[in-house]
Amino acid sequence: MSEDLQKEIASLKQKKTGQMYLTWLRFKRNRLSVVGLSFVLLVIFIAIFAPLLTPYEPYDTNPFRRLESPSREHLLGTDELGRDLLTRLLYGSRIALQVGILIVLFEGFIGISFGLLAGYFGGWIDEIIMRLVDVLRSFPVIILAMAIAGIMGQGLFNVVLAIGLVGWTTYARMVRGKILSIKESDYVEAAFATGESTVSVILRYILPNVLPTAIIMVCIMMPTALIASATLSFLGVGVQPPLPCWGSIAAAGRDYITRAPWISTTAGIFIMFTVLGFNFIGDGLRDAFDPTSKRN
Amino acid sequence: MEELLKIEQLQVAFSTEEGPVEALDGVELTILQGTFHGLIGETGCGKSVTGQAILGLLDNNALIKGGRILYRDQDLLRLSPRKIERTIRGKEIAMIFQDPGSSLNPLFTIKNQIEEAIRLHRKAPAEKREEMVLQALKQVKLPDAENLMYRYPHQLSGGMKQRVMIAMMLACNPKLLIADEPTTALDVSIQAQFIKVLKELKEKLSLTVLYITHDLAVISELCDYVSVMYAGRIAENLSMRDLFKDPRHPYTIKLVNSVLGATTTLDQLEEIPGSVPRLINPPGGCRFHPRCEEAIPVCSQEAPPLREIKANHSVACHRR
Amino acid sequence: MKKGRYVLKRLVRTIPIVIGVTLVTFLILHLTPGDPVRIMLGPYATPENIAILRAQYGLDQPLPVQYLTWLGNIARGDFGTSIRYNRPVTELISDRIGITVLLTLSGLFISVTLGSILGILAALKQNSWLDYLCTFQAMFWISIPGFWLAIIFLYIFGLQLRWVPIAGLTGFVSLILPALTIGLQEEAWFARPMRAEMLGVLNEGYIKAARAKGVRYFQVVVKHALRNVMVPMITMLALRLPWVIAGSVVVEVVFAWGGMGSLLVNSVLARDYPVVQGVLLIIALSVVAANLFADLVYSLVDPRIRVEGGKK
Repeated sequence: MSEDLQKEIASLKQKKTGQMYLTWLRFKRNRLSVVGLSFVLLVIFIAIFAPLLTPYEPYDTNPFRRLESPSREHLLGTDELGRDLLTRLLYGSRIALQVGILIVLFEGFIGISFGLLAGYFGGWIDEIIMRLVDVLRSFPVIILAMAIAGIMGQGLFNVVLAIGLVGWTTYARMVRGKILSIKESDYVEAAFATGESTVSVILRYILPNVLPTAIIMVCIMMPTALIASATLSFLGVGVQPPLPCWGSIAAAGRDYITRAPWISTTAGIFIMFTVLGFNFIGDGLRDAFDPTSKRN
Repeated sequence: MEELLKIEQLQVAFSTEEGPVEALDGVELTILQGTFHGLIGETGCGKSVTGQAILGLLDNNALIKGGRILYRDQDLLRLSPRKIERTIRGKEIAMIFQDPGSSLNPLFTIKNQIEEAIRLHRKAPAEKREEMVLQALKQVKLPDAENLMYRYPHQLSGGMKQRVMIAMMLACNPKLLIADEPTTALDVSIQAQFIKVLKELKEKLSLTVLYITHDLAVISELCDYVSVMYAGRIAENLSMRDLFKDPRHPYTIKLVNSVLGATTTLDQLEEIPGSVPRLINPPGGCRFHPRCEEAIPVCSQEAPPLREIKANHSVACHRR
Repeated sequence: MKKGRYVLKRLVRTIPIVIGVTLVTFLILHLTPGDPVRIMLGPYATPENIAILRAQYGLDQPLPVQYLTWLGNIARGDFGTSIRYNRPVTELISDRIGITVLLTLSGLFISVTLGSILGILAALKQNSWLDYLCTFQAMFWISIPGFWLAIIFLYIFGLQLRWVPIAGLTGFVSLILPALTIGLQEEAWFARPMRAEMLGVLNEGYIKAARAKGVRYFQVVVKHALRNVMVPMITMLALRLPWVIAGSVVVEVVFAWGGMGSLLVNSVLARDYPVVQGVLLIIALSVVAANLFADLVYSLVDPRIRVEGGKK
């Protein structure tokens, strides 16, 4: 009898690793998601090795060589202060990734915590949190974040704070939904029946089950975070010059669009490339974890 | 009696994530006009696929690899999708499905959905259609039809929905009705009620029905002829009389013995050792041989052809 | 009446959200690290001026009193006075709201129409080149920041080709580019759900049953399937509305339309708080109203909602 049980447990475990493996296979088979992964890895590479990739400094201005068109010396030309554009764009990947990751982590932290609370405790806690979600969802994320960032003042961390305070609702909803389904599963009921404490059940059963969903969520939220932060910079309330931020480079280039159209153009292409990478990955992950969503 | 529908060597495969599945491998059966023809087999043996293939309603990942489906001497498999849509579905052959809960569109009233069938297949002036809807509902013994027809599907019970389905399909005035496990999703008492309605219709309308089920008791109550299916192939075609008096295929024999015992549905069959083969990698030769007590070496090498042993009785077995 | 009860229930559920929205809008002002009045007046303000302005805005009152006063004023249509323009906020907004509404609605129209058509075609021709194209173009558009797309469009069609005017709302032609920018960006958010919902519905039993009774496939799609995807698509519409509004704010800035978007951005940069609050509140309340409207439309489309009083 106990041998049977052990066998069953072993086969279940095998099934689980098999599941993960199958997920990876599905992810790998999706060519676009592999393309996305390589895009993102390339951007990370650029961010790390930016100083080695260019002989210039992102803050070195040269008033005599303003708005030069692309040449062998300056591959993408220079900007309105005579800085090498390519250098600023390469260094810009640092800002973009930094801001993006901080936003996703921050809003993920708030959202997952609130989602856990709402889903697990239900009742009036759930009611209050979900009404708060409804309220925040009535505001366009970018607009509310712009107002908050504008009031708190410009700066990298204020951008993160502003977008994070507004953008966590998606996580909260997702985590809450997931928890409601886990709560009804047999193993959680069994854990309670054997007298495990609430905290222990959350830590041992609920959190590990929510985590994979949360990881996918992070990949799916990254594009929104990147675009939102770039938009805030563009509107003048986000990360501001002289920091090399793609959004503000595009904004500055707009004033010289007839003379130096490459400034805005290339800045946007960098944003698009990165966001596209994350979108491809997110899409691949979603399909890999939930194959029914695409086929059949 | 006249042959209404004849399936010859029908082969259907599905492409799935795990590889191709040979769902049907040479299905052969003949349905005679005015009879109830049972198609029985375990879950996943391909009986529903057979039914859907007749109407050209297979899922997109299905591939018809060969065979013919002759309906009054025209091969349905060679008709264009457009032609099947315009000349066969509803008008000649209609079908009801296993799950009555999802077979009716939740957003339209019963009347609207039955009327749609009438509008398509019968020439009737608009003001007479309501009367025809009422008639159709009364025909399947639905109470309070006058009010019922203005209801939405979610306001009806499962048994009522399934009767509405029959009413809707009969309103098309088809020559052949395919019933794909119509009672499986219903409670036992509702099942009995449903079968009673069907039996009355059989006598009144001289319907031809292909009745697909895994429940031998239902078949024995309704049908005149039976096709026994196993793992994508026909094991035996025979009359109801022969089914109980002279079954030949070892699988059919097990089946009948089990119904004479306590269990009636094939899913509870424990008397037959082993389990239904998965069609992604079916056993070679006769697909039943791993579970067959009478198997001889040739059974695992060659698939037995369906041979006629007497009128209206053919069997696919090397030992017979 | 059951339906009346459903409508009433939805209305009641909206009340806390409206209160919450006003509360958030109100409290934003108090997020500032310092004294808002000091920031408004700049570093060289005299203490008397600060005191006068504080009294003028009621900032010397306790917070709940301030909130209630503010709420009372808004209920009477008084959003306060702009610091920068020295004009009533209500006037500033009502001068500009038409432009923003026009842009938002035309963007929404393009995105819903285009997205639905693409999504339906992709679902009907699943796994064809059209399907892949639909998925890919959707990914492409959502990966581009709206402001950049607007700049590129402006550069190509306005500056290079000179097909359209480069700034301002000067007639129908000048509406095309901004509306198209929003439409293309948002279209992606409708095309993919439409495809998924359509595929789901096409797999439903009632679709097969309708086909089994001989309904033409075109009819099946138009009558049986399309109506069933309407509820989730209306949900999507309500969900995307805030994003469309945000999109038109950004696009408006690029195309130099003097709408609510430009007003908002300029007021944020100038710390003109009464205007910021007014615009935010108007936007959020219209989203709330749109959600309520969507809920009411569900009940017209889906008879199940009418009876159970809840979504399926």
